[in-house]
Amino acid sequence: MPTTYDPFLQGYSGSPTTIEWGLLVVIYLYTAGISAGIFAMSGLATYLGGGRYRRIARLGALLAPWPLMLGLAMLVFDLGRPLHFWLLFTTIQFTSPMSIGSWLLTLFVIVSLLYLVLWLPRPLRNLIRVPQRVGDLLAPARWQPIPSRTVRIGRGVLAAVGFPISLGVGMYTGVLLGAIPARPFWNTPMVAQLFLFSAMSTGVAFLLLVATLVGDLLDPAALEHERHLLVSVDAVLIVLEIFIIIPFFLHQTLNTWSSAASLKLILGGPFTAPFWIGVIGLGLLLPLAVEGYELFPIILKEGAIKYRRQLSLASSLLVLIGGFLLRYVFVYAGQLSHFLPVFAR
Amino acid sequence: MADTTKKTPRWVFVMEPKRCIDCEACMVACSVENNVPIGHHRNWIAHQTKGSYPDVSLFFAPENCHHCTNPPCERVCPTGATYRREDGLVLIDYDRCIGCRYCIQACPYDARYFDEERGVVDKCTFCVHRLDAGQPPACVETCVGGARHFGDLNDPESEVSKLLATHQHYTLYPEAGTGPAIFYLVD
Repeated sequence: MPTTYDPFLQGYSGSPTTIEWGLLVVIYLYTAGISAGIFAMSGLATYLGGGRYRRIARLGALLAPWPLMLGLAMLVFDLGRPLHFWLLFTTIQFTSPMSIGSWLLTLFVIVSLLYLVLWLPRPLRNLIRVPQRVGDLLAPARWQPIPSRTVRIGRGVLAAVGFPISLGVGMYTGVLLGAIPARPFWNTPMVAQLFLFSAMSTGVAFLLLVATLVGDLLDPAALEHERHLLVSVDAVLIVLEIFIIIPFFLHQTLNTWSSAASLKLILGGPFTAPFWIGVIGLGLLLPLAVEGYELFPIILKEGAIKYRRQLSLASSLLVLIGGFLLRYVFVYAGQLSHFLPVFAR
Repeated sequence: MADTTKKTPRWVFVMEPKRCIDCEACMVACSVENNVPIGHHRNWIAHQTKGSYPDVSLFFAPENCHHCTNPPCERVCPTGATYRREDGLVLIDYDRCIGCRYCIQACPYDARYFDEERGVVDKCTFCVHRLDAGQPPACVETCVGGARHFGDLNDPESEVSKLLATHQHYTLYPEAGTGPAIFYLVD
């Protein structure tokens, strides 16, 4: 049920501001970001280090499509008429971020599923048979497993093609909110950047979490340099997020009265605690501290990091929790912000 | 009513806040006319207190969808369900609306609501069914104080054109660049 809230309009009552987008949309933006981050990291790992990070590439490829597909189910379920979702794909509305985003997500799902097939372990992959020549299209009996040459080239091509698409998906989740002038809290390009960096960070954290858990099953030392890469990338992304949040505050404070007033939602308003304790404390500063501690020996060139399972689990879980709370705070707080009436000035 | 044979009309509201007594008859008339679901309204009266004790006054401003020249709701609609008619009316094709509620976020006037039962978004239509039959919107017809004036801005002889030509007026949130079709007279 929509709720109403008037945080800073004392002496004014117009049409009530309602919460229309709830937890389902929060989950969808969150999982779409995770998928985008996983794919981007996997694509990067395909090219980085000359095959050193193949296991990250494979792990990412196997995981990438699933969170997003869960989120898409949430999104369709959230519609007023879920069975009419296909109307999205009867048109492209170039001024609607949601229309562009629907097509982008569809493209991402297709690319990431193809990418997943190419990274399946060989025995599984060989179960999939494809026509080798155009003439064989109608004769499934002559279809063969995908040739290894095609697999090798295909992985590289899809990683390269999918990388910008995954960045686009991560950015889209922020553009969806940021492109609306009527909600001053959202209406800054920095929301798109913040959501993009957070998407990458939560995706990397998700990989780190799974790599740590999988590492338990295999030899714990086996995934050490993979973990080193993930922790390093995630630390950089967290720093980038912090340096987007700082200008976000500066710009909103120095912007129009409506924008400055909308900050009250997280500065004394109902989302103060979730934002400062959840997003900033638990989601950014604490995992950054943990990751910094892990990386410190490397930074000081005093040898390799030691495998500390608990630290990896803690930092990745904290980043994932913080990323969710970031979506939650922005989706909810933004909907309660609005232009202030002329006469109240 | 304005003569619609000359050129495409531009339907606008001219509101006179000093004539509004906050009886909410317009809200009742609208809900009855348009079968608006309980819990939602297509029009409303904004209350504003001006000043502080002892020099304080209360102010009523009737409002509904502004049928913007440059509607943000139309811009963000992913299926093209919201469209703008030639005479400026911003309407919804209910067969194309999927109920994503993006337009509700995009409207700076919070004029739209989600009709849970039908699963679509809805709002004021300027009573398009009455308009096309040559009648004024239900809220205008019922207003007891005469605070709501409705007519064709493209007709220089219409009541609204004359009011706007002779009175100071303002629109809401001009900074949003929406080009709203509701004008408020300054007392």
